[in-house]
Amino acid sequence: MSFSNDSDADFIAQAMPAFISEAAEQIEAIETLLLELEEQPDNRELLDSLFRCAHTVKGSAGIFGLNRVVEFTHHVETLLDKMRDGSIALSPAISTLLLQCNDKIKFLVDTAADESADTPDQKDLRADLVIQLTAFTEAGLGTTPVIERATSSTLVQTGDSGLKVWSISARFGPDTFRNGMDPLSIARYLGSLGKIKSVRCGADTVPPLVNLNPESCYLSFYMDLETTSSRDDIEGAFSFVLDDCELDVIEPETPQQKLARAIEEMPETPRLGDMLVSVGALTQDKLTQVLSTQRQTPGMPLLAQTKIGDLLEAQAGVAPEVVAAALGKQQKIREAAPNEDRYIRVQADRLDAVINLLGELVIAGAGATLLARGSRQIALLEANLHMNGLIEEIRNGTLGLRMVPVGETFSRFRRVVRDTASSLGKEVNFEIVGGDAELDKSMVEKIADPLMHLVRNSLDHGLEPPQERVAAGKSAAGKLVLSAKHETGAILIQIEDDGRGINRERVLQRAWNRGLLEQGVVPSDDVINMMIFEPGFSTAEQVTNLSGRGVGMDVVRRNIEALRGSIRLNSIPGKGLQVDIRLPLTLAIIDGFLVGVGKSKFVLPLESVIEVIESGGQHVKADSSGRHCMELRGAVLPVVRLRTLYAVESALPSRVSVVVVNSVRGQYGIEVEVLLGQHQTVIKPLGRLFKALRGISGSSILGSGEVALILDVGSLGDLVTGAEPAPVIS
Amino acid sequence: MSEPYELPAELNIYNALDMRDKLIAWVSEQNAKAPGVLMISAKNVAEVDGAGLQLLAALSHMEQAWQLTQPSEAFIEACQTLGFGRWLENGSERVSNGAKR
Repeated sequence: MSFSNDSDADFIAQAMPAFISEAAEQIEAIETLLLELEEQPDNRELLDSLFRCAHTVKGSAGIFGLNRVVEFTHHVETLLDKMRDGSIALSPAISTLLLQCNDKIKFLVDTAADESADTPDQKDLRADLVIQLTAFTEAGLGTTPVIERATSSTLVQTGDSGLKVWSISARFGPDTFRNGMDPLSIARYLGSLGKIKSVRCGADTVPPLVNLNPESCYLSFYMDLETTSSRDDIEGAFSFVLDDCELDVIEPETPQQKLARAIEEMPETPRLGDMLVSVGALTQDKLTQVLSTQRQTPGMPLLAQTKIGDLLEAQAGVAPEVVAAALGKQQKIREAAPNEDRYIRVQADRLDAVINLLGELVIAGAGATLLARGSRQIALLEANLHMNGLIEEIRNGTLGLRMVPVGETFSRFRRVVRDTASSLGKEVNFEIVGGDAELDKSMVEKIADPLMHLVRNSLDHGLEPPQERVAAGKSAAGKLVLSAKHETGAILIQIEDDGRGINRERVLQRAWNRGLLEQGVVPSDDVINMMIFEPGFSTAEQVTNLSGRGVGMDVVRRNIEALRGSIRLNSIPGKGLQVDIRLPLTLAIIDGFLVGVGKSKFVLPLESVIEVIESGGQHVKADSSGRHCMELRGAVLPVVRLRTLYAVESALPSRVSVVVVNSVRGQYGIEVEVLLGQHQTVIKPLGRLFKALRGISGSSILGSGEVALILDVGSLGDLVTGAEPAPVIS
Repeated sequence: MSEPYELPAELNIYNALDMRDKLIAWVSEQNAKAPGVLMISAKNVAEVDGAGLQLLAALSHMEQAWQLTQPSEAFIEACQTLGFGRWLENGSERVSNGAKR
């Protein structure tokens, strides 16, 4: 890279990270578009967007002098351009190639600043891709050997299917007559396609009669044909003479259209007049003249002033069409400007700092509320109430800043699924459901890898090869669904396939062999299923490079645990596997319900609380094995007694209430002594020592400085409802 | 003005070679007789193709100006289709290279 001077170099260096992140977005968009285009190959808009993305990458790389990116992307662009012409149709091979090229562009952009990354190997790879690209590009020309006059711009008219005036110019080869062809019949045929607006025979190349070989053809013609037919139809008329005929079929532009297009292509066009001058629709002198007329309109309020556009039309004789195009462009620029400003990039750690402070603010606010209550001053209480309301709003707003749709992560999987499936020779219909569900940004990043692993696992081990599926009475193409939805205070991500499910017998056998289970012990199905998450476990008979090395699944579990999430398997042998991953929406602050047992305080996630039965404790009965339950509206409700569970020491209270909560295992009650109400809870992780504590997910500091433990409704539920070891990891 | 040259009923590739020689002969003959605008009649032309029209285009590149008279419908259609509409216009503009003189 070489730059003209230091300030340029500085600017470039500063702008580079922005370029790289923008280019990354474009590259991601290219990938998404390509995959969408595979599904709808006729979608013109997708193709256009695709081209624009590639063009943008190339263009901005050019500004930064990244020649490798520009050169390489240029080839991709050429192929895309041919596809837009319709001379090349998207085939799976082209799609694959373009995806590979996109990866290469990404690599080139990522290593843009690093000359040493461009190793000879990389160069070879790139050259290889270019050869493939060129092969496709030229093959496209081969099928329609037409010399297409390249329009001067890269912005080719998208064109609608309606009536268009095509300008056709054909220069026939000398052997046309001898081959039994006749320009006249071709012209006649073209006439049948639509209306010939004008035709002129180019006879200049015809020699004088004395020198004429009457059996050689010297003719050419230029025709304007108004038709709804496509380029292919028009070119079809020439199909028998193409070998020795020079043919141009172009959509002509009127001078007005040309100007309009030139305006459209202008990168930045601040003022209407300047715009028109620069494309040559108006002279500078004329513009000055018109502008002065506009200013001279005396005593007119600004709004009533004649618009410059109207003046230009009336006085400078600029065609209304041209003015309209310029105005449209201006409008677009105005609309685009706020779009660009809609996002600000903020460093994640700054945001984290704000969220930390917010946590302190929430705690301090709770402290102030406590004091205000103690003071019994109505005015102070009211002020405090108001402040707490605001804090809550700030909290929600700030946490919302970190929320991003999971769909962004999901769509990355399309490519993985596509490539993985094709390398395994499997057919897969991949569906994404609920991609707009939002999740904390840090979670999204951390969940991507485990999800990727699970998706690959489903593809590799779950879905059967087509013939096996057909033999099992299933459709040849497997189904893989990745979905996300909100559940109370959590997000549920599901990976569902209709493959063979978990082979429990084999899992069990292996667990015995590997000493993960004592020989001969047969636990419940759920427990067997969860064995696949044990470290060092792998059932794949053939270890592929995708999964099955037995190192992944336990990492998946660890990652999800680290996010306070849980993972659950639902396998129906022969029918498929469903993996449920539940994650808390955020790692920072939740709405809690504060309760007390003795002197200890506990926080329940508010979303999980269904109802509170005051003085319900007297209805709680213990069964023979010491488990508690009560009758609630004619049904048995298991109840957990925190006092016993955590051995809270205090005098027996006179009144005990039951909080009914909802967990994945169903409803159950929690016996508590004091109900302290709603509480904004800043989650602090538990220390290492307390990690093994069951039913507790974290701690929080109350306004008074006391520590409250946050109950994990899910695992607490397992303690209550299940006697056996909980298969839920959490 | 002399008698117009009568184009045959079939003005196409099959007799193009023959027609060329006939036209050359006639043009030089006319030139010797009375130089001026050559008149060519297409009233009998029933079939015409690109090669036939090319002959007349080649004639336009000769020294002599020529003018079309009484074109048949088939001939008119062919001229219009292939872009030789200018031959059909009446008046002297159609005289292809009269300006040269």
